[in-house]
Amino acid sequence: MNTPRQTPARFARGWHCLGLARQFTDGRPHEIEAFGTKLAVFRGRDDGRLHVLDAYCRHMGGNLAHGTVKGDTLACPFHDWRWGGDGKCAAIPYAQRVPLRARTRAWTTLEENGQLFVWHDPEGNPPGPGVTIPRMDWIDDEPSDGPEASEWSDWTWDSVLVEGAHCRELVDNIVDMAHFFYVHHSVPTRFTNVFEGHVAAMYVESTPRRDSGMELIGADLSLRSDAAYYGPSYMIDRIWQPLGDGTEAETVLVNCHYPVTADSFVLMYGVRVRRLPGTTARQAEDMAARTARGMRVAFDQDIEIWRHKTRVDSPLLSDGDGPVYQLRRWYEQFYVDAAEVRPEMTDRFEFEVDTRRAGEAWEREMAANLARTGTPGTP
Amino acid sequence: MRPVTCEECGTGVLVEKRSLPHTSVQWTGPTDRCPQLAGGGARIEGCTRLRASIEREVREGRLTVAHDD
Ligand code: FES
Ligand SMILES: [Fe+2]
Repeated sequence: MNTPRQTPARFARGWHCLGLARQFTDGRPHEIEAFGTKLAVFRGRDDGRLHVLDAYCRHMGGNLAHGTVKGDTLACPFHDWRWGGDGKCAAIPYAQRVPLRARTRAWTTLEENGQLFVWHDPEGNPPGPGVTIPRMDWIDDEPSDGPEASEWSDWTWDSVLVEGAHCRELVDNIVDMAHFFYVHHSVPTRFTNVFEGHVAAMYVESTPRRDSGMELIGADLSLRSDAAYYGPSYMIDRIWQPLGDGTEAETVLVNCHYPVTADSFVLMYGVRVRRLPGTTARQAEDMAARTARGMRVAFDQDIEIWRHKTRVDSPLLSDGDGPVYQLRRWYEQFYVDAAEVRPEMTDRFEFEVDTRRAGEAWEREMAANLARTGTPGTP
Repeated sequence: MRPVTCEECGTGVLVEKRSLPHTSVQWTGPTDRCPQLAGGGARIEGCTRLRASIEREVREGRLTVAHDD
């Protein structure tokens, strides 16, 4: 029997995406509730860079996210102390001098793929060598004949606050072959996981359930997907779907999150699609928006499960399941001190799930459902 | 899990096969001797030479498959 447990209040070490960088460039500070605290994100007026500070002012606790950007500093709404992006107090207009060592926490940031990231480490160390967010270099964002010629649609971006669940539930999904059939109405025909270092990958091919009446964009297509988490919370998923006429739809999905408290997190997802031959940039944007709506349906299916399930640290697995324990072992590296990361957490591990037996069972189930209802409907 | 040595690069790994389609490979050190995986990390699904070595172990009966059907 598994009884609900207290979820650990420690947050993962790693890069966490806070959203598209352009959400934060309007000259105003932005408040983000994350890692059990509040952050203030702002862009320096002169340096043009995005900075992230602890939101609560070290003076008397004013909320800097409700303050004002003044030059390259963020001014507190309470007494106008000016905080630089480096965390140093740059000025206190009404005082003769700034106290020695007047500092707040400046979070290490990174901009990549049009997104803003902060580095979180409970031990306060900088990211180790090679611990970074890969650039999507297969997307040429600066084609020589101008941005309108871009082969890819711009990012869609959506976020949803998930309450009552630890973000491990979301990460568990990448080894959970069977839930794709029951929760997402797709039939995995190939399902492999590879973990190594700080990366956890999922290689999938799937077809849609024939007995499902779900009308999602792309849900009626087979797909091939290469997805990987880079660190604890940022996944890049490349998806290819044959369109029947010899062409292939190509999508990139970012699925990322940051923890708010020990049992809530903000899930975000963004989509870009490659423009199909003979279509306009506008049509590609529409296609990306429809794909994002389909993603929302899929995430809502997961959220509905998470909202009502319990946390299980020692799941009881069958031989048809993916490598949940090995994934958890990989994931644990982000929740222990760097000195406690054991080799087995980062050593390469490969697991190819046997989809054959499951496929036969699901084939029978779909055939029975179709025989019963005559037409595809809700299974 | 049973030890298997890659006939290409000589690296030893641990392998389990619960059924013919299933394979689980646990590395116990770096992949840097493998010409296909070195530097690629988890973004490379697997090494075809190692896979061939595993299949050979199965064919020659040195690696047993739990549910052989
Ligand atoms: S609390 Fe921020 S300036 Fe006083
Ligand atoms: Fe899911």
